[in-house]
Amino acid sequence: MAAPTATATLNASTYSPGDQMTLTVAYSDADTRPLTVTVVVTDALGNSSAPARVTAVLDPLTVTVADDSGRTWTRVSDNGSVAVYRAVA
Amino acid sequence: MPRVTVTVRDSAGRTVTTTATYSVAAPVLGGYYLSGGADPTADMAGGNFRSLTQYRSFADGYTFPGYNRPWLTNLGRAAVAINMVLELKHYGAADGPQTFTVDGVSYTVPAPAMTIQQRPGTTWPRAYGYGQVLAGQCDGLFARALAQYRTLGFGVNIQLASELDTDHEFGTTEAGRAYTWAESDARAVQAMTYIVNWFKARPLPAGTTFSVGVGGFDRACFQRTHPEALMAKLDFLQWNVYATAPEHTALARFRRTKDWAVADLGPVALSRPVIIAEWGVRVAEIPDQAKWIATVPAAIAALNAERGPRIVRTNYFNSGWGTLSPKADGLAALRAAYATRPYV
Repeated sequence: MAAPTATATLNASTYSPGDQMTLTVAYSDADTRPLTVTVVVTDALGNSSAPARVTAVLDPLTVTVADDSGRTWTRVSDNGSVAVYRAVA
Repeated sequence: MPRVTVTVRDSAGRTVTTTATYSVAAPVLGGYYLSGGADPTADMAGGNFRSLTQYRSFADGYTFPGYNRPWLTNLGRAAVAINMVLELKHYGAADGPQTFTVDGVSYTVPAPAMTIQQRPGTTWPRAYGYGQVLAGQCDGLFARALAQYRTLGFGVNIQLASELDTDHEFGTTEAGRAYTWAESDARAVQAMTYIVNWFKARPLPAGTTFSVGVGGFDRACFQRTHPEALMAKLDFLQWNVYATAPEHTALARFRRTKDWAVADLGPVALSRPVIIAEWGVRVAEIPDQAKWIATVPAAIAALNAERGPRIVRTNYFNSGWGTLSPKADGLAALRAAYATRPYV
């Protein structure tokens, strides 16, 4: 099992009061894998149902963001490898 | 400096933590200058005016706070940030040499030996020469200004020269020798370095900072007058901003010199915040000054959101090209602008 990796990047180093700040988190883990389970039910006469699919993630990752100035960072997107957060300066 | 901590955890509880730091700048200081160096207190009252530009000649025997200007002391003590432009340009005193005593030491300073602003068809103003400064002949002027400065009770930004580009645009002449614009810039850099070194070698009021003055209208001059060695001794970049044509937008006018700075100057210069010692809208070409002024906060916010030096003070120049007419409308527009981000 591997440890996760992450990088955090702000869109600026200095903000004016009231500016929108954007934080981009890129993260991954070598063990994290998408998984799709497909179920087909077949009866004794050989009639099969349509395939039903469910997806899952092996070793899923959770991302948390904390700010020591008390600002609240809100997640605006997350595709499983890049999460974008916003806060107000 | 605020810090964001990002933690990524997998299903087995293994975590990785990374951080990013940022800073939130103080609001930009909205400022003012009133024609003739007159008392601006009444105009500033009731508005978010937190910055002021003043002009004095080193020749003047009353540099700090200035002759009959107790209001400057009052404003400074009320935490208005003062940008004090100290000029080698000669005014406020009779022509000729001066002899005076500072802290028990007698100084004799010769008559100014340089001419500047040599626009054809005009009378060229006199100034103490860069050669005179480097020869130590003006040390008494600096000593006199410093002695008065120490009695103020607060620190100021000392801006050496008002606009070096305006001073040098048509060349200079010192002691009968003519110098080109570029030669004058190089000589000024040496003289400004000498003056900053002279002040910094002595105890200064807390909060004292330094800059050199330019109009900022000529890219090559801007680069020549901002070498890294000088910028290392200075605390601010500075330029002035005027709208003098109908198509001039606030964003374009404030950004012109910034773009040159970002393209041409070194990392030390670019680490310094910017004082706009003068900005103004010329009513002849832009009759609705108030409308133009209202666009300034967004322009400053946009520029400060870009990379490069941040603009931290903008002082409206209610004189000359910037004269507010009608004054009441202009002042109301300034008050409204300075009550808006990024000024609050």
